Amino acid sequence: MSKHLKILEFVLSSLLRRKFKNLGIVAVFSFVVFILASILFLTHAFKAESLAILEGAPELIVHKIAGGRHDLTALRYGDEIAGIPGVGRVLPRYWGYYYDVSTGANYTIMGATGSPRSTLQLVRGAFIEAGQRGVCVLGQGVAEARLTGLNGIVPIMGANGELYRFQVVGVFTDPSTLLTNDLMLIAPEDIREIFDIRPDMATDIVVQVFNPSEVANVAKKIKYRFPELRPITRTEILRTYETLFSWRSGLVILTFVGALVAFGILAWDKATGLSAEEKKEIGILKAIGWETSDILALKFWEGAVLSLVSFLTGLIAAYLHVFFFGASVFAPALKGWSVIFPEFRLRPTIDPYQIFVLIFLTVLPYIAATIVPSWKTAITDPDIVMRG
Amino acid sequence: MKSRRWVVATLAAVLTLWLGTPVFGHEPAAPGKKDRCPVCGMFVAPYPHWVAVIEFSDGSQAFFDGPKDLFRYLFEMPKYTRQKTKADVAHVYVTEFYTARLMDVAAVTFITGSDVLGPMGHELVPVAGEAHAQTFMKDHGGKRMISFEEMTPSDIPGRKR
Repeated sequence: MSKHLKILEFVLSSLLRRKFKNLGIVAVFSFVVFILASILFLTHAFKAESLAILEGAPELIVHKIAGGRHDLTALRYGDEIAGIPGVGRVLPRYWGYYYDVSTGANYTIMGATGSPRSTLQLVRGAFIEAGQRGVCVLGQGVAEARLTGLNGIVPIMGANGELYRFQVVGVFTDPSTLLTNDLMLIAPEDIREIFDIRPDMATDIVVQVFNPSEVANVAKKIKYRFPELRPITRTEILRTYETLFSWRSGLVILTFVGALVAFGILAWDKATGLSAEEKKEIGILKAIGWETSDILALKFWEGAVLSLVSFLTGLIAAYLHVFFFGASVFAPALKGWSVIFPEFRLRPTIDPYQIFVLIFLTVLPYIAATIVPSWKTAITDPDIVMRG
Repeated sequence: MKSRRWVVATLAAVLTLWLGTPVFGHEPAAPGKKDRCPVCGMFVAPYPHWVAVIEFSDGSQAFFDGPKDLFRYLFEMPKYTRQKTKADVAHVYVTEFYTARLMDVAAVTFITGSDVLGPMGHELVPVAGEAHAQTFMKDHGGKRMISFEEMTPSDIPGRKR
């Protein structure tokens, strides 16, 4: 062990001797790891986010389609859907988007008494009770963005051009940062007035299906009986999210293929041969009595130090980039253009599997690439090596 | 005065009896994480939509990961347990397909040959009510409807005849 420590000390001082060359390698190496890790972290965080959203989402949502676009759904459909075997509660939902000029963000406003999702957790105050009017419950992020809290007032411009004032009676959080930062609850009667929804209409209808294996069948029956309705199952939403994020992360990786190729060339260059100077160094070490195994240990430690330092630098930089700076480099490409969401920070979620994959793709090949050529040099006679 | 007391007493007695009957006031316990099916050895808890339960007269329970294994157990009890006999079986519950709730076997019919697969392949799917059973037959291509009493060992899918 102490021998390895001595070798490590030697490695560090010899790395310092060739400061600029090694710093260059570390910089390129870290950059590659940073890019790859950022993409992995970001896609993983987005996937975790969409899973968190779907956690409390209903099994089946039905809404009307008119001319290929979403339309308000008549409540009468609900009664007929409730008659399908396997269907439990059928509830209308009232919601819509609202662009808030003062914060420059799009919010989701939902009409609901009580908690519309099992995952919402109250931080302060209470949810809206049946019959209460003129009050609202905000996600914590929304409350912070609007610099308001309990008993604050949120003004909303209605469809008729009038300004409605809502008093904040509660603040909630959710495992999904998106919901916490984007959702605002008001009474169903209020939302009908603001968004001008007729009393026999709803934005969409939520259908509870007791047995998950029957969901697809219920959806099929709804589609068959009412061709004008579109049933959306939770698995469909999940699949869409998955493909979307996988496709987008693929796109970002594609743009950085250049960096990957550069890294490949760097490793290849290392693997195919040592510089004359490095060969000479190995020759001298052999001549003063180092064993082949010592030289292999030396090269192993050299590769390990370089690649681990670069790997950790890249990984930490990627973590900061994604979870503290909101992935400012790739977020535009990954989030898509159609979302003007309020500012939100992703929750740090890390998949150990991804980190192992990264190590296997970067650290291990690099160490192997540095050891092979030095082994070749180390087994030749020092005399020949030093003469070149 | 006396007659009123009588009415109250009768009412109380009827209520107790009524609540005591298995179909109404009684719900079997849900399987724990460690409960295994005595027939196939699989854990039961991951398949809440298929669980079947036998309650014995001493209050103990056996959980199954589907009606198929429940019937195997009932038809060949000596093979799977030494402590219990058929006489010890107090109540039998299965998870009804459409409501995903435990129901007494008397309340359901079992449908064979459908395209709905349980944790261990083809199943005897329990459906409550004639109308729902017909719908199920139409939707999932069932072959036969069999009640709990009519079930024979040869009706169990996936077994050599």
